[in-house]
Amino acid sequence: MGTINRTAGGLKRLSAINHIASQNSFNLILRFVALAVIDAFALWFVIRLTQDKNLPLAALIAATTVGINAFYLHPRMGPFRWFSPGLALMILMVLYPTLFTVYVAFTNWGTGNLLSKTQVIEQLESRLYAPEGSQSYQWTGFVNEAGEYKLWLISDDGSEAFLARPGEALIPAAEAHVGELDADGVPLSIEGFERIERNQVIRHISALGELTFGDEGRAVQVTNTTSAAELRPKFTYDAARDVIVDLETGKEFTPIDGTFTADDGEQLSPGFFVPVGFRNFNRLINSAALRGAFSQVFVWTFVHAIGAVFLQFVVGLGLALLLNDAQLPGMRYWRTLILIPYAVPTFISMIIWRGMFVPGQGIISTTLTDIFGSSPAWFGDGTWAKIGILIVQMWIGFPYMMLISLGALQSIPSDIYEAAKVDGANAIQRFFRMTLPLLLITLGPLLIASFAFNFNNFNIIRIYNQGGPPIAGAPIPTGQTDILISYTFRVAFSDGGSDFGFASTITIVIFIVVALVTLFNFRFTRAWEEAGENV
Amino acid sequence: MSSSGVVQTNVLEKARRERVIARRKRRIGLALRFLVLGVALFYALFPVVWIMSAALNPANTIVNQKLIPDNASFANFQVLLEDGFDSSALNPFFIWMKNSILVSGITAILSVLVSALSAYSFSRFRFRGRRGMLLTIFLVNVFPNSLTMVASFLLLQQVGRFIPSFGLGTHGGLILLYLGGAMGINTWLMKGYFDTIPREIDESAMIDGASHWTLFWRIFLPLTRPIITVVGIITFIFTYSDFLLALVVLRGQREAFTLAVGLNFFISGQFTNQWGVFAAGAIMGAIPVVILFMLTQDFIVGGLTQGAVKG
Amino acid sequence: MIRKSNLFVISVVVILSMMLGLVSVAAQDDSGADLVIWADENVAPVLDGVKDSFAEDFGITVEIQQIDFGNLRTQFAVAAPAGEGPDILIGAHDWLGEFVSNGLVLPVDLGDKADQFVQVGLDALTFDGQLYGMPFQTENVALFRNVDLVPEPVETLDEMIEIAEQLQAEGLVQQGYVLQQADPFHFFGIQTAFGGGVFGQDEAGNYLPDELLIDSEGSIAAAEWLDEQVKAGNLVGGIDGDAATAMFAGGDAAFFITGPWNLQNFRDAGVNYAIDPIPAGDAGPGRPFSGVRGFFVSAFSDDPLLAQTFLTEVVATDGVMSQIVSNRASAFIPTLENQDDPDLAAFAIAGENALPMPAIPEMGNVWAAWSDAITLVFNQDATPEEAFTNAAEQIRTLIAEGSGE
Repeated sequence: MGTINRTAGGLKRLSAINHIASQNSFNLILRFVALAVIDAFALWFVIRLTQDKNLPLAALIAATTVGINAFYLHPRMGPFRWFSPGLALMILMVLYPTLFTVYVAFTNWGTGNLLSKTQVIEQLESRLYAPEGSQSYQWTGFVNEAGEYKLWLISDDGSEAFLARPGEALIPAAEAHVGELDADGVPLSIEGFERIERNQVIRHISALGELTFGDEGRAVQVTNTTSAAELRPKFTYDAARDVIVDLETGKEFTPIDGTFTADDGEQLSPGFFVPVGFRNFNRLINSAALRGAFSQVFVWTFVHAIGAVFLQFVVGLGLALLLNDAQLPGMRYWRTLILIPYAVPTFISMIIWRGMFVPGQGIISTTLTDIFGSSPAWFGDGTWAKIGILIVQMWIGFPYMMLISLGALQSIPSDIYEAAKVDGANAIQRFFRMTLPLLLITLGPLLIASFAFNFNNFNIIRIYNQGGPPIAGAPIPTGQTDILISYTFRVAFSDGGSDFGFASTITIVIFIVVALVTLFNFRFTRAWEEAGENV
Repeated sequence: MSSSGVVQTNVLEKARRERVIARRKRRIGLALRFLVLGVALFYALFPVVWIMSAALNPANTIVNQKLIPDNASFANFQVLLEDGFDSSALNPFFIWMKNSILVSGITAILSVLVSALSAYSFSRFRFRGRRGMLLTIFLVNVFPNSLTMVASFLLLQQVGRFIPSFGLGTHGGLILLYLGGAMGINTWLMKGYFDTIPREIDESAMIDGASHWTLFWRIFLPLTRPIITVVGIITFIFTYSDFLLALVVLRGQREAFTLAVGLNFFISGQFTNQWGVFAAGAIMGAIPVVILFMLTQDFIVGGLTQGAVKG
Repeated sequence: MIRKSNLFVISVVVILSMMLGLVSVAAQDDSGADLVIWADENVAPVLDGVKDSFAEDFGITVEIQQIDFGNLRTQFAVAAPAGEGPDILIGAHDWLGEFVSNGLVLPVDLGDKADQFVQVGLDALTFDGQLYGMPFQTENVALFRNVDLVPEPVETLDEMIEIAEQLQAEGLVQQGYVLQQADPFHFFGIQTAFGGGVFGQDEAGNYLPDELLIDSEGSIAAAEWLDEQVKAGNLVGGIDGDAATAMFAGGDAAFFITGPWNLQNFRDAGVNYAIDPIPAGDAGPGRPFSGVRGFFVSAFSDDPLLAQTFLTEVVATDGVMSQIVSNRASAFIPTLENQDDPDLAAFAIAGENALPMPAIPEMGNVWAAWSDAITLVFNQDATPEEAFTNAAEQIRTLIAEGSGE
């Protein structure tokens, strides 16, 4: 794949040279050197990935590299050069994980089917069993300077003892010609070999574990620090017929939906992940999650996202307007102090606010009780829980909004205000007619992005109150402050496991909802943007 | 005394009175602003004060009932400061902080550079697929990221097998992930600002023989300093306070943790948490960010910019 | 002349050549250690402190990676199959069902060391008749009592509530008895005191996923008791674990069901406490959940035999075992015998009739619904019977959906 790309790139290069020839030659050489380095690196990476059978990533990197070559060599691709670094980063670090998630939605990847088929076969083939009538032994190891091992085996019932060497038949104790035995019946020494004492076993266990002592008649393997047993492989995989054969019973298992299953229904654990088509989507459609409390969750998801962004923006913009005046005394310090909440990591802020709301304990609850005689059930009552979340959201988000508003305010030339003042517009009119529309050119898309972020703000719900309080009588556990993503993940992820395939499906559906809302919103920003471009 | 003199004094008197009223108005306005600021400040800092209170509380709770706890002490700070510089220590606080500043700083600077380039292109060039690209960049970013974490882990694992310095457990890999994630929104934010810069400026520069590169480097970057600073700060803080991604990438190596990951350990016990130490860490961890605000705010709100735009 | 326009190109070249340079330098294996161990914030520092002696005495180099307990399980599930996991990890026994069905851990053969471990520990780490781990500590909840407020132990829940009401009436406490809300783990002792439970068990003690007990008569009776206490004002909603701990530590509550993890908090706070068994309800003494922590060997370990030997020969010694238990009963008998902590002895008495937390994968579908049911009763948003019956319905739905109907 890599070579083809290179050839294509080379052809383009030829045709492009004439065009670029007029440019500064040093610049030209540099550009080619840079491209060559990038190409060489990408080629190497793609080859390594292909060898590693990671074709999706290899293809993506190859495509990105071809793109970069085209941008730099094709004369009409000039604008693309500017964003090629950013685009490459996004494709690799954001788009690739996203596509991966989409792929997972069409598999059964998750608890019970977590491994690949190769891994499962490998694991099954490494399982051993002790055939009927086989012996197990207590072993003592002996090692020589060349690192060769002998074992002294005493059967568990104490009736027999053997000297064992890898790959050779066991030698009964009587014929072993070893030195004196100790109280346990173990030779004190074997000529040329040193006895391995218990506390030194660990130094040799890896090497011992690789060896099989005795011959085919009696093959003995070390199973722990002191024991050894006659063990045989339990399963073998017949690649031609794609079946796992149980060597003990002769039973055969064929893969069905990512689990090796016998005719009588017996299944071998673990299973592996396989593509399952639209099964996850069907499951979602038929899920109890889409009944009952779903509409309530749906509405709150929107209320939460819009409410959070609105409150954050109003407070943030208000403060930005207030703090934009460089003439006010001590403004540096005011600005810094007000931005301090932003310096506290959000997950910490959420925990602190939760603490302040705790009934009878937290400062907000106790203060309200002191003043009004009672405090709302911040966690027990759905409405108050929602209000609580919005209060926390406002605090967490206003410094961000204030910062970007403060930045955006600088783009508004002050002569506009002067002109407006002459026209007799008062402060409020000036704000709504001029400042706000101009600000929204820069900030409109940001507000939409904030909306999308809060639409899926799993974190605040998870950390603040896990979606509580619960809704009585819901078909699956549902909280009154659950948003779509936290709600549906209750089905896909639980303490007992994680169903990545199903969770990905949910994610895709939610993405479609957010994307539609975003596109709808952009119809308004288009108007802002075009106004902005003519300033 | 002539009547004109009387009129004159009246006019003077009136002007003086107007000045007094205007001054009084200004003073009231000022007082009002400070009042609002005071309220805002109380709102902004109240929870922070409460974190401080928890940090001083030896009783290990985040649910304080008193502002100044009984037996208040700096013991929780001590835990972090004791061997904060010793990378083999249990809680090498300052090493975590250094890691965080390094990762966030590099991410912020690179992100600003890369997204400014993209934003310039989107703002100043007209080409086929421009709108589609802009939208795509945006939409990719609204994809719920709760699950992409797993994919990011597997991605870095792959990359790390061939380029170990950008693999799992490395700051390099973490920075790459942050850079990718910040691209979309930062590009949009800058593009919006770039759009407000009048095209006449480009045109006059072009007439003077400037290339796009010169225009970008010499005129746009200085002119858009406020938004560049803001984007830098936002990216810095986002990275500084993230712990979900960092936790997945920097698994296990205590000396490589970022601050948020390190602090998270104090409150991730199954049943018990070290709230006091956690709060102390949160307070101290905020200091670099506050210093960053102090140092950079003149770049956001400076007189220079507006003059330049007018020129 | 190098123009500024070239700066970017140059920097790209520099960065890329650096990357290439790093590739050739760092092509070797990332960690040279024989064994990689994942441990939580309690165990990791201990192992880190003694790992040098492992290298000296046994020639084994280990690398300890600290993962917070809450993330250990999920990170392991993703990292291990990708070849990034540890050889050994610590974990809770109730993760076992998931680990086994995912093929993530291997059976462990403790050999002649097995009889040095407490039976309850070995049982908890046994799944489908196979031992999958080496236990290191056991824990269960018990009733903490503030001795200054209540000098004598209580036998029954009725007795406890009577005293609690009295103390509240006298204004000596904010809440006589405090129960952390929405926490089934801590409520289980009360649920069993009324004859309730989670899953039925067969004779061997295995939990039966088909026999859900959340809506059993006993469970509903326990919910009704809870409802009465909320109605009587003895229990207030919205108190989470941290708040409840703070209340007991501050002397604002006289009774509190919790586990040994809070011992340090209470000792630090200087509260005068005693530890009693869970009081009896209508159906006899309450039976708390017991939890066991152990070491697991990853199925993706390069050398599982070495990992197992490391556990039995190096870790299963009093020297290491006594350090990794912090305020818990050790599962290693030689260490347990040396622990002469009266509090742990009291916990052991309270845990004599404890039931192991179910490790079957279906348990994952239980927690949220069960917790919601308790909260609904707390919030008085549903009758006890409605709440618990519906919870059972929810759990059955989730189990059915998860298994693909």
